[in-house]
Amino acid sequence: MQGGSSGIGYGLKYQARCISDVKADTDYTSFLTGTLSLKEENEVHLLRLSSGGTELVCEGLFSHPNEIWDLASCPFDQRIFSTVFSTGESFGAAIWQIPELYGQLSSPQLERVASLDAHVGKINCVLWWPSGRCDKLISMDEQNIFLWNLDCSKKSAEVQSKDSAGMLHSLSGGAWSPHDVNAVAATGESSVQFWDLRTMKKVNSIERAHVRGVDYSPKREHTFITAEDESGIHIWDLRKAKVPVQSLPGHTHWTWSVKCNPEYDGLILSAGTDSAVNLWYASSSSTDEKASESPVASTRQRVNLLLNSYTDYEDSVYGLAWSSREPWVFASLSYDGRVVIESVKPFLPRLK
Amino acid sequence: MATEAAPMDEKAKRMRDLLSSFYAPDPSISTGGSSINASFDNINSTSFDADQYMDLMIKKSNMEVLLQRHVQMAAEIKNLDTDLQMLVYENYNKFISATDTIKRMKSNIFGMEGNMDQLLQKIMSVQSRSDGVNTSLFEKREHIEKLHRTRNLLRKVQFIYDLPARLQKCIKSEAYGDAVRFYTGAMPILKVYGDTSFQECRRASEEAIEIIIKNLQTKLFSDSESIQARAEAAVLLKQLDVPVDSLKARLLEKLEQSLDGLQIKPEDASKLVEHNDSSKDEESNNQGPAKIHEDAVRGFSEAMRAYREIFPDSEERLFKLARALTTMHFENMELYIKKRVSAADFLGIFRIIWEDVVLMDEVLPEAALSDLSAEAAQVTLKQFVARTFSNLQQDISDTLLKFDINQKEIVDGEVLKVVLEASRKAVLQGTADIFQEFRQLLDESSGIFVKMKDFLVGWVQKGFQDFFRSLDAHFLVLSGKTSSSNETEGKSSEKIHAGLILVLAQLSVFIEQKVIPRITEEIAASFSGGNSQAFENGPAFIPGELCRVFHAASEKLLQHYIDTRTQKISVVLRKRFKTPNWIKHKEPREVHMFVDMFLQQLEEVGKEVKQILPQGTFRKHKRSDSNGSNTTTSSRSNTLHSDKMARSNSQRARSQLFETHLAKLFKQKVEIFTKVEFTQESVVTTVVKLCLKSLQEYVRLQTFNRSGFQQIQLDIQFLKAPLKETVEDEAAIDFLLDEVIVAASERCLDVIPLEPPILDKLIQAKLAKSKEHNNNTVPS
Repeated sequence: MQGGSSGIGYGLKYQARCISDVKADTDYTSFLTGTLSLKEENEVHLLRLSSGGTELVCEGLFSHPNEIWDLASCPFDQRIFSTVFSTGESFGAAIWQIPELYGQLSSPQLERVASLDAHVGKINCVLWWPSGRCDKLISMDEQNIFLWNLDCSKKSAEVQSKDSAGMLHSLSGGAWSPHDVNAVAATGESSVQFWDLRTMKKVNSIERAHVRGVDYSPKREHTFITAEDESGIHIWDLRKAKVPVQSLPGHTHWTWSVKCNPEYDGLILSAGTDSAVNLWYASSSSTDEKASESPVASTRQRVNLLLNSYTDYEDSVYGLAWSSREPWVFASLSYDGRVVIESVKPFLPRLK
Repeated sequence: MATEAAPMDEKAKRMRDLLSSFYAPDPSISTGGSSINASFDNINSTSFDADQYMDLMIKKSNMEVLLQRHVQMAAEIKNLDTDLQMLVYENYNKFISATDTIKRMKSNIFGMEGNMDQLLQKIMSVQSRSDGVNTSLFEKREHIEKLHRTRNLLRKVQFIYDLPARLQKCIKSEAYGDAVRFYTGAMPILKVYGDTSFQECRRASEEAIEIIIKNLQTKLFSDSESIQARAEAAVLLKQLDVPVDSLKARLLEKLEQSLDGLQIKPEDASKLVEHNDSSKDEESNNQGPAKIHEDAVRGFSEAMRAYREIFPDSEERLFKLARALTTMHFENMELYIKKRVSAADFLGIFRIIWEDVVLMDEVLPEAALSDLSAEAAQVTLKQFVARTFSNLQQDISDTLLKFDINQKEIVDGEVLKVVLEASRKAVLQGTADIFQEFRQLLDESSGIFVKMKDFLVGWVQKGFQDFFRSLDAHFLVLSGKTSSSNETEGKSSEKIHAGLILVLAQLSVFIEQKVIPRITEEIAASFSGGNSQAFENGPAFIPGELCRVFHAASEKLLQHYIDTRTQKISVVLRKRFKTPNWIKHKEPREVHMFVDMFLQQLEEVGKEVKQILPQGTFRKHKRSDSNGSNTTTSSRSNTLHSDKMARSNSQRARSQLFETHLAKLFKQKVEIFTKVEFTQESVVTTVVKLCLKSLQEYVRLQTFNRSGFQQIQLDIQFLKAPLKETVEDEAAIDFLLDEVIVAASERCLDVIPLEPPILDKLIQAKLAKSKEHNNNTVPS
C-alpha cells in the first residue's frame, strides 16, 4: 500500500463529514463541503480545482446556521444544494441557493430556497435524481421517505407523497437510481429496501444488516453496491438480490461509503473508518467467471482487485465524491476536516 | 627440284595412309614424318597446295636455304621409298603364309563325309528294333491293367459289405473317428447304389452311424469328457453333417448362464477378500469362496478354451462373453468401492479380477481382455483414489462438526481444544493412512498395476492437490465466509460457532506448516517421477501453491473469526447507542451494564483463543497487584484528561481542534490496525481495538448533553483496567479509549467531566457489585 501524498489537500476549519461534487458546474471541477461543528459557526465551502489540477481554491465560503450532516449539490443548477443539519437536539433539512455575485460580497449569506420541514425524526439524507433535471427531491428520516416537489422559482417545496418504512427499519441513508427516476434504495437496520416512487411501495430488498453506504452503478442498470460495517463491500445484481455477485474485502474497520465511478465501469471507491480510501476494480467479466474459477485464481484476483489504497489521512474518512467533469478525479474528506483531491489516472491503464 | 619432290611426297604419304589403315601404324615412321613436316605448312594434309607451298618457300627463303631444303627433302623421299618397299615385302610375306594355311585346310576336310553316312545308318537300325519290342509287349500290359482295376473294384465292394460290421466294431471300441472316416468314405457309393445292390448294407451302416451320432452328442455335452475328446466329437459331428449350430448355441447359452455365478457381488466382495486371506493361511484346507470363485473362473475359461477349439467360428461370441465378465467385474468393483474400502481389500478384489482376466486372456488372447481390463482398471483405480480423498475430507469435516452439538460447552470447557486436536489428528492420520494405502497400491506387482504405476503417481499427486484445494474451499464454506452455491447449505453453515472458525484457521496453519511439507516429503519419497504425460503442465502436486492457499485461508479465517466476534460485540454497542436519548441523558449513577456484556464477550474470545492459539512470544509482565496500581494510573491519566477538557472548554473550538491535532502529532499516529498474528494476544488485541474504534464511531454519530458525556466518560474509565489486563498493546488501547472520550467531548454540548473522586467511587461501586455478583454465582 503506497500512502504517498500525491493528493491536493485543503483544510476546513472544523470537523466535517460530507462532500459533494458540483455536477452542474461544467466549467470547473468543483466540490461543495460543509462542516460539522456542534458549538461553532459552521461553514459551507465551495472548492474549485485550478485548471492545472494542482491547486484547490476556495471559491466561496458561506456560513451555515447549523452543523451539516449531509450535503448534496443540485445536479442541474450549480448554485443550488441541499443540506441536512442538526442543532444538537433537532434535525432539519433545507435547499439553499448560493447568492449571485458572491465573490464581491464580504460575507455572503446563503439564500434558503425551501425548508424540508415535514420530518419529525432524525433526518438522514436528501437525494437529488443524479441523471438530469427533475423537480423532485427525496428526503429520509429514520422512519419515513418523503417525495418533494421543488419549485425553485417560487422558492417552495411541497410534500408530494410519503411512506413509512415502519418503526423497526430505522432508515439510515439511500441512493436514487440513475437509470429509473422512480426507483430509490434506502438502507435500514436489517436490509436495503427498494421503493417505487409512483406507488410508494417497497418492491425489493436485500437482506443485509448494517449497511452504511450504497450506490447504483451509473453504467450498469442492475448493479448495486453496498458497504457494510464489518463485512466489506458487496456487489449485487438487483435481479438476483439473494446472493452478492462479488465481494470485496473492504476496510480494516467499517466501510463507510462506496461510490461508483461515473465514467469507468467497474471502478469503485470506498472510504473507511480505518482512515483510508481504497480504489477497487470489479470488472463485470470477472464477476461472470467467478463461479468457474478455482479458489486460487480468485484469491489472486482478489488481490488484484484493490488498485490502490490511499492512506494519507489522520482520521476516519466519511466524505467521498467522484468528479463528474473529470471522472478520474475524486475528493475525499476525513473527519478532521481535510479535503484531499486525488487523481486515479495512473491506475486507469490497468483496467484494460 | 622442289616441284619434283612434292608429288613424290604426296604419293608416299597416300601409300602409307593406306597401309596404316590395314595394319597398326608404325609409330616411329608416322611420328618421324609428321615431326619433320610440322615445321612447314602441313604437307600431309589433303588440302596441301604444292604451288602455293613452293611460292611461299621461294619468296621466303634465300638460295642457300632452298638448297638445304632440297637436300633434306631428297633424303626424306629416299627414306619414304625404303619404308614403302619394306611394307610391300612384309605384306607379301604374310599373304604367302595365308595361302599355305588354306591349302592345308582343304586337304584335311577331304574324307569326312563318308564317316557321317555310316553313323546315320546305325542310328536308323536302333530305332526300328525298339519299335519291335514295343509292339510285341503291348497286349500283355493291357491285360495286366484290366486285372488291376477289377481287383480294386472288388475290394471296394468288399469294404462296403464289411462297413456295418466295421462300424459296430468301432462303436464297441469307441473309435468313432475311424467309423466316421469309413462311413464318409463309403458315402458316395452308398448314395449311388444304396437303393439297389447295397440296400441292406446301407441300412445297417446308417443305423450304426445313428448310434455313433448319439454317442458323439452325449460325449460333446458331457463335461466329464476331456476337451480333446469333445472337440473331436464336434469335428466328427460336423463331418457327419449333423447341424452343429444349434448345439453351439445351446452350449454358449449354458456358458452365459454360468457368468452370473462368476460375479463378484459387492456384498460378497469383502467376504471374498477375507476368505482369500484365510484360505492362504490354511493352505486351501478350507474351500473358501475365493477358492470356489477361482475354480469357477478356471472352469469358465476352460470351457471357453474348449468351445473355442470346438467351434472356431464362435470366437466373436466368446469374446463378448469374456468382455462382459470383465466389465461386470469392474462394474461390481465400482459399486464395491462406493463404500469405504481399504486399499488391501481393494487390492484383494483387484487381484482376483486380474487373475480371472489372466486366465481368460490365456484362452482368448485376441479378445484384448488385458487392454480392456487395463482401461477399466484405470478408471476404477482413479475412482478409488478420488473416493479415498473425498472420504478423507468427509472424515475431517465430520471430526470438526462432531463436537459442535453442544455449543455452550465450547466456551467453558476445553472443547475447542479437543476439536482442534482431533481434527489435527484426523488430518495427519488421514493423510498418513492414505499414503500407506497408496503405497500398498504402488507396491502391488500384479501385471496391471505395473503398467498403471505412472498413472497412479500422477493421480495421487493430483489427488492431493485437488484434495487440499477442495479442503480449503470446504473450510471457507464451513466457516460461512463464502456461501456455497447451494443456498440452503449456506444458511445452515451460518450457524457455525465462532470458535470453530478459529479452529479452522488454526487447522489451516497446521496444514500449511506441518501437513503439506510432510506430504511433499512423502511424495518425493515414493510418488515422484510418474509419467511424463501427467506432467505436461508441470507437476500435479505443487506444495508452494497449496501453502499459499492455506496461508491465505488461515488469514482469511482468522479475519473472519475476528469479524464475527466484533460483529457480535457491535450488536451490543449499537443497541447501547441507539436506544437512549443522549441529549436528554440523566446524570450517571453507575457504570452502564453494556460494559459487562462487552467484557463478557471479550472473555469468551479470550477463552476460545486460549484453547486454540499459541501464546505470543512477547508477553507483557503481569502486574503483581493489578488492582491498586491500576487505579492510580487511571486516575492520574484522568486528571490529565480533565485538565485538558477544562482548558479546551474555555478556549475557542478552533484551538481545541488544533490541540487534538497537535496531540495526535505528538502521540504519533498509533498503528491501530496492525496485522493480525496467530497468537492469543494478537487476536484479542485486534478484537478489542476494532470494538473500541467502533465505539468511537458510534459516539461520533450522537450528540450528548453533559450527563451523557459523563456516562460515556465513566464507562470508558471503567473499561480501561480490564481491557489493559487482556490486551498486549496498552498504548493503542489508551489511545483508542482517549479517542472515544475526545469524540464524546466533541459531540457534547456542554463538556464538564466528572470529578475524579466521583468517577473512582462509581467504579469501585461497580467493582464491588460485580465481585459480589461473582461470589453469589460461583457457589451455585
